[in-house]
Amino acid sequence: MTGFPILSAILATTILGLLTILFIPPQRTGLIKRVSLVSASIGLALCIRLFLSYDRQQGGLQFVERTLWVKSLGIYWFNGADGINLPMLLLTSIVLFTGIWTMWELENRVKEFFALVFLLVAGVYGFFMSMDLFWMFVWYDVSLFPMYPLIAIWGSTRKEYGAMKLTLYLLAGSALILPAIIYLWVHGGAQTFDLFELQKIGFGLFDQKLTFLMLYLGFGILAAVWPFHTWSPVGHVAAPTTVSMIHAGVLMKLGAYGILRIAMTLCPAGLAYWSNLMAVLACIGIVYGALAGLAQTDLKYVIGYSSVSHMGVVGLGLATMSVNGIDGAVFQMFAHGAMTALFFSSVGYIYDRTHTKIIPELGGLSKTMPIASSFFIMAALAGVGVPLMASFWAELLVFVAAIQVFPVGGIAALGGLIISALFMLRVVQKTFYGDKNPRWEHIPDISGFLAVPRIMLVGIILFFGVFPGIMLNVIQSAVIPFVNRL
Amino acid sequence: MLFLPELSYVLAAFAFFACSLKKTGDAAGYYKLAVLLAGMGLLIAVVSSRRQGMLFFDCYRVDMFSQVFKILLALGTFWVIFSSRELRGIDDGQHAEFFFLIFVCTLAMMMLVSSVELLTIYVSIELSSYSLYLLVPMRRNADQYIETGIKYWMIGVTASALMIFGMSLLFGVTHTTYVPQMIKTLPALITQPAAVIGLILALCGFFFKLAFFPFHIWAPDVYEGSANQVTAYIATASKVAAAAMIVRFTSLSAGAGPGIIKFLIVLAISSMAFGNLVALIQKDIKRLLAYSSIAHAGYILVGILSFSELGYASAIYYAAAYLVMNYSVFMVVMKVADDGRNLRIEELAGLHKRSPILAMTLMIGLFGLAGIPPTAGFAGKFLVFAAAMRKGYLFLVVIGMINATISLYYYLMVIRAAYLLEPENECPPLPVDSPTRCLSVALVIMMIYLGIFPDRFLALTQAAARSLF
Repeated sequence: MTGFPILSAILATTILGLLTILFIPPQRTGLIKRVSLVSASIGLALCIRLFLSYDRQQGGLQFVERTLWVKSLGIYWFNGADGINLPMLLLTSIVLFTGIWTMWELENRVKEFFALVFLLVAGVYGFFMSMDLFWMFVWYDVSLFPMYPLIAIWGSTRKEYGAMKLTLYLLAGSALILPAIIYLWVHGGAQTFDLFELQKIGFGLFDQKLTFLMLYLGFGILAAVWPFHTWSPVGHVAAPTTVSMIHAGVLMKLGAYGILRIAMTLCPAGLAYWSNLMAVLACIGIVYGALAGLAQTDLKYVIGYSSVSHMGVVGLGLATMSVNGIDGAVFQMFAHGAMTALFFSSVGYIYDRTHTKIIPELGGLSKTMPIASSFFIMAALAGVGVPLMASFWAELLVFVAAIQVFPVGGIAALGGLIISALFMLRVVQKTFYGDKNPRWEHIPDISGFLAVPRIMLVGIILFFGVFPGIMLNVIQSAVIPFVNRL
Repeated sequence: MLFLPELSYVLAAFAFFACSLKKTGDAAGYYKLAVLLAGMGLLIAVVSSRRQGMLFFDCYRVDMFSQVFKILLALGTFWVIFSSRELRGIDDGQHAEFFFLIFVCTLAMMMLVSSVELLTIYVSIELSSYSLYLLVPMRRNADQYIETGIKYWMIGVTASALMIFGMSLLFGVTHTTYVPQMIKTLPALITQPAAVIGLILALCGFFFKLAFFPFHIWAPDVYEGSANQVTAYIATASKVAAAAMIVRFTSLSAGAGPGIIKFLIVLAISSMAFGNLVALIQKDIKRLLAYSSIAHAGYILVGILSFSELGYASAIYYAAAYLVMNYSVFMVVMKVADDGRNLRIEELAGLHKRSPILAMTLMIGLFGLAGIPPTAGFAGKFLVFAAAMRKGYLFLVVIGMINATISLYYYLMVIRAAYLLEPENECPPLPVDSPTRCLSVALVIMMIYLGIFPDRFLALTQAAARSLF
């Protein structure tokens, strides 16, 4: 399709936002925030348009932009959208928009903060829309390294440790990804980094096994696959609210998306060979995340471990290699993204006001700030997987598929889900109900202005919970041909 | 006319030689003159970059390869001289000598990248080395650093002795001192022990210049003990020249047996690992950069090891990217330590408030050195690894990437100091004059441009690499 390059335009909103912010004097914080919100909302509008104008009947790759970038190596500027990355792009724009709005009260080094956020999100958009392995790697790294200053400067609990751990873990992952990508390029004739041309070549069995493992482990670190998840709760706890939202909401999906888009597309035989390993690690992650969550006393740690558990669901869905499983996995990425963004956003408000996120110190918050509490409770319900929430459908699909393919693991994972329901409800009960802590009585409830982004997120979770078909149609248009090729 | 860039440096050196004869010098005037002459040298190098040909009984080849490196050398020299406005690390009476030696050294390195005959190579190397032997101890309070100068000289002459011995063995085996003829005859003779030993010994001389492990011992002390400008010069221009020599000379061993290739692989891996691991614990930023330069030498060798056009091109690309990134970091160091002292990492604290533009230049330079996209350093690493992978060196690429991750830690510690740490005593803002400001912006743009649009410069380095064959 020729015409308006809408994907590049989405990417340009972040880069132009970044450049504009760089030229605003640092003391004009109000202007910086408004510019940020405007560019994020343009991105959101473009993503919604993209989502609506995608032709579901036709399916396949649409909105394609493809030009040669480096001739001698076969690098292309190749962007496209299909049913797998459309939900991710939409999710990114939603989380960015709500995240910037959530951070409206930031006062400390505002200019640098928003500049780095835009740099990070440029990497995320770029990774999701690009179909060229070189660019995917570039965008992948671009989305990782701003995390270090973002956490280390604006974070809280053990921020420097968390930031360093996260950065080194994730970049160690890319130390596996880059050799794998170059390996595939060389064995594909050293002519092209174009994902679809490489797919046509078809690699030998050994190559597929080797590179699939490298890509799976590399991206798996970012997707918080057990046992490489330890950076994730620490990093989430240390990060400031918006960064936690973007990170848990979007960035972790990069890992799962990378496994799906690069590793599974290029190495289907490798997937078949390693799928048992994937399933086992995913099931351990689900159960382990839930059990570890049960023992936490810090609100953000609870969410961090629930993310490990929920990302395990994504991994399990991918490992099934079935239409339902992958459908569910992609849908879960979207649903979990919206849900954790809501989680961190609501905890962010509580933390900003009370300066604590230790559960025993809180208590009875639903009486002092009913609206702010309700957002967290909504997120917890979504996390538990209550029907009419988006994640319900996603988890249902994954578990239906998983029990057919991996009966033992599937049932263990279901058990993990029950534990996670237990700990979510326990947290809700202890934090928001029970005895009121008099220390927090003077705290006002969330203002209407700050409630807007949270309401948006609740709305999205409910909307796709009531009408899952809108999203599933899009996802299926890509997943069915994908599974048929496996 | 082919010799024009070199001639311009000869003239510059003579000008400062004349200045150094005067008893009292005008430091500001010398600075202006030096910038002018260095700028002229750069201009001439760029303008004459299309010329090609042979000189001096075919000892001296001006081709794409040497022209690319001459531009890089002229650029590095210009930058270092540009940053020498406040030359407080060097005694006031010796500024003319400082500029004189810098120009002589640049001249020698320009000759080095064009030489294709063993004796010419040796003479050029010695000329550049002796300029550096004099530049290194030339520092205010030289008594403290006298050990540095002696150490550098001692190790340097030992390496030269080994190198000339290796060269004589090569001459004995091949009956020629001309490198192009040697390339033709050597593969047939490479099984002879004399050829192997000669090649390895000759290479050791260059490895010494580029500070490979285990020939690196001089580097940290010299970096720490020299004046900041001299260190910047050694770390940028002289590294580029050494990289050029390694590319040209290692291509001699292209047809060599697996023995030499294994030797080079071990050298590359140990350089990367040693440099990065020791850099982790450094407190002084110049020492840290010294160890990181050892690691970067390893990456360059990974590219050369593939013995292909892409491999040499990637090594040249890497050297150019390294020049830009390393100079960016050194520019910030020279500005922050404007009284010529050595800079500890924690002294960068609060830099983001004192001078946002220098902090940004430092951050992008360090991210570039760590190989994070979208910077020139990433493009360089990517090309080097792509070339190595085409030869099937998967493990070498994986080790290289693991090393890049390790190196990220210490680069991040420096960035942390500049952006996170608050200084103990309130430091005043750092005034940055507008030429430096422009240069900072230009460096940042250059680093990002080379990272995002590698195409045109890659084509140039490929053309340069082709002229090696």
